[in-house]
Amino acid sequence: MTPEVPKEGLAGPAPEDRPHPTGRRDAAGVRRDTTASAEDTARRTILSALVEDEPGVLARVAGLFSRRQFNIDSLTVGPTTVTGHSRITLVVEEPRGQIAQIERQLAKLKPVISVGELDEDAVRTEVVLMKVRGQSPADVQAVVAMFDGQTIDAGSASLTVQITGDEQTIDDAIDAFDQFGIIEIARTGYTALARGMQPTVPGEKPGTADEPTVSPR
Amino acid sequence: MSKQEHHETESTAETPTHTGAEAAVEALDAAGVEMIFGVQGGAIMPVYDALFHSDIRHVTMAHEQGAAHAADAYGVVRNGPGVCMATSGPGATNLVTGIADANMDSDALVALTGQVPASMVGSDAFQETDTMGVTTPLTKHNYFAHTAEEVGTAVGEAIALSTQGRFGPTLIDLPKDATVASTDVETPPPSPPATTVPQRHAPETAVAAAAETIATADRPLLLFGGGVIKADATRIARTFAQTYEIPVVTTMPGIGSFPEDDPLALSWAGMHGTGYANMAITHTDCLIAVGTRFDDRLTGGVETFAPEATVIHIEIDPAEVSKNIHADIPLIGDAAEVLGQLDAAMPGPPPVDTWREQVQTWKQEYPMDYVMGPDGPLKPQFVVERLDAATSDRAIVTTGVGQHQMWAAQYWTFTEPRTWVSSHGLGTMGYGVPAAIGARLAADDDQEVICVDGDGSFLMTMQELSVAVREQLDITVAILNNEYIGMVRQWQDAFFDGRRMASEYSWMPEFDALAEAFGAKGLRVDSHEEVDPAIEAALEYDGPAVIDFHIDPFENVYPMVPSGGANGHFALTPEQL
Repeated sequence: MTPEVPKEGLAGPAPEDRPHPTGRRDAAGVRRDTTASAEDTARRTILSALVEDEPGVLARVAGLFSRRQFNIDSLTVGPTTVTGHSRITLVVEEPRGQIAQIERQLAKLKPVISVGELDEDAVRTEVVLMKVRGQSPADVQAVVAMFDGQTIDAGSASLTVQITGDEQTIDDAIDAFDQFGIIEIARTGYTALARGMQPTVPGEKPGTADEPTVSPR
Repeated sequence: MSKQEHHETESTAETPTHTGAEAAVEALDAAGVEMIFGVQGGAIMPVYDALFHSDIRHVTMAHEQGAAHAADAYGVVRNGPGVCMATSGPGATNLVTGIADANMDSDALVALTGQVPASMVGSDAFQETDTMGVTTPLTKHNYFAHTAEEVGTAVGEAIALSTQGRFGPTLIDLPKDATVASTDVETPPPSPPATTVPQRHAPETAVAAAAETIATADRPLLLFGGGVIKADATRIARTFAQTYEIPVVTTMPGIGSFPEDDPLALSWAGMHGTGYANMAITHTDCLIAVGTRFDDRLTGGVETFAPEATVIHIEIDPAEVSKNIHADIPLIGDAAEVLGQLDAAMPGPPPVDTWREQVQTWKQEYPMDYVMGPDGPLKPQFVVERLDAATSDRAIVTTGVGQHQMWAAQYWTFTEPRTWVSSHGLGTMGYGVPAAIGARLAADDDQEVICVDGDGSFLMTMQELSVAVREQLDITVAILNNEYIGMVRQWQDAFFDGRRMASEYSWMPEFDALAEAFGAKGLRVDSHEEVDPAIEAALEYDGPAVIDFHIDPFENVYPMVPSGGANGHFALTPEQL
């Protein structure tokens, strides 16, 4: 009882004559009937990657973010306790599933030794340099003191101040200095470490006094 | 001076050092490389010169893209690295399509490229290209050997990395001053980088959960991807399916992972997969996916892909887990090892009698039969079936990309791994002829190599026919010639109100005469009666033969799931699109 083959195409029940399941997945490929599909909204988090300090490593990381359309807010790089290793600290804003995907894609890069997402309580700080108008230096000084900052350059027309703190502190400082007229701003983005003796990335070995930190520079 | 004399003169001189180029060849030798596909050129000349004394066979290709595809196919058939080589600048950029193709299909392609001297990099020197920059997003990793000391290690590591874990392409950029300079640094044995060691076994708790899920499923389905073949897991994969009587669907790269003539086989799923494969994948309640990355041509719209299935994903690359389809139970590890773990953990077979009957019903409801009138135009499906009938089970099929590729995949019954060699993820027209050359040189003598090609695909890389003639390679190129970029014409008819913009060839060369001009055997077929005699003549001919099959120009590929559509809504006729 082979069905008759049409002149063009193949035999068989038409789409509307077939059974169709009622289940669906969401855009991330998660079945809607599972608890896993609870709304996965974007959140900001900090990733730390321990990498081999070789030419092009930053280009590989940056290229990965651009190619895979991952949103990156900031990226900082610097040496670690181990000669030849660098730490890249990344602030990203993505849904949970996508953050896991970023970690796995980063871990695949050959120079990447280990990647981890930092806990909420991780210590983190950012530096901002602000060049403000110098008409009222005493008032500027007062605000610098309020934020435990430093004035690192002073001229007749402008003052350059440095504030360190978390993102909220930096945002508040920028608001506070706005009254004087801000000429230029340079922000570093977060650098961060896990709290206490917990390693910042999985498997990271603690530096010791016997092996003093050697700066690669 | 002959090659032999030159070799003897050299070997008498005691040299404590070697050049970077010699280190590269030592690394290739140490990795067991037997063959390289390449094209000569200025910046790579020192490496070629070092090959002069080597036992490694070099096959000079007509174009670097051909070298990359040939090496890719060689690697696919051997299930190991395939090596290609080119000079800097245009040599390197011509390789890029082949590297991108290997990257999408997880093929272990290793590329050696010449580069202008390191001292001149950045000066826009003659034939300088930022090969590292161009190939970084297309490779597992790429290496720039700054000095002669780095060459041997980089080449060895690149080869080892290409087959470590998930296969993929690697590249070593070799500046001319590094290959010319001498060094006393010895070439170490090839070893992959320490930062990329894959996990081979899945955690036992996850394996137990997966086994329990499978054993209690009503409608379990195995989905075998290319990773099953790459991991050499086809034997255990077959045993697993047959032991628990679970139906099997494959992806296109997974063709050959499970014999398509087995009663459990449903052939491949996706855009042009069989109706029964797409019905099974739509209705399964437990999808056991092995070595696949859930490409959009497989899944169709993600919302309707296996929408009621618990997904168990066995995969060597953690980044593929839950990338496109959420894995309820991810099992990260080597496909063969994890299938072994899973088999050991299975409490018993799932209750699948009703499900298997359902699947058999679908097989009868959605047959892959086509209509062929006695005096009507030649049907491409018929040509593929006759080629399959005329060759052995271990015959290798290479293809270009387009309608001909789909018909070859649909109407050839594949039963052995590594007999289907195609361009899947990148969809590279022109892959077929150079791939047939690479496959021929990798295959056993008793394996026929058939390139099922399209007229458009053939035109893109046909110059490699000169290589097949020169190297006296016994391949058969079967062109399914409809004088269209057929798949584009099919889409234009379906989705662009039939406006056939730039898809019709108003003039095509006579491919049989062209083949003869190359020095190959050329044949032309216009009717059904001529098919078998032409195939017989081509197979009997000891060398490359080209058969130009003039097929029905308006034949379309069905079933078809429109891009992003639901797999269960596959169209069987144009009216259903």
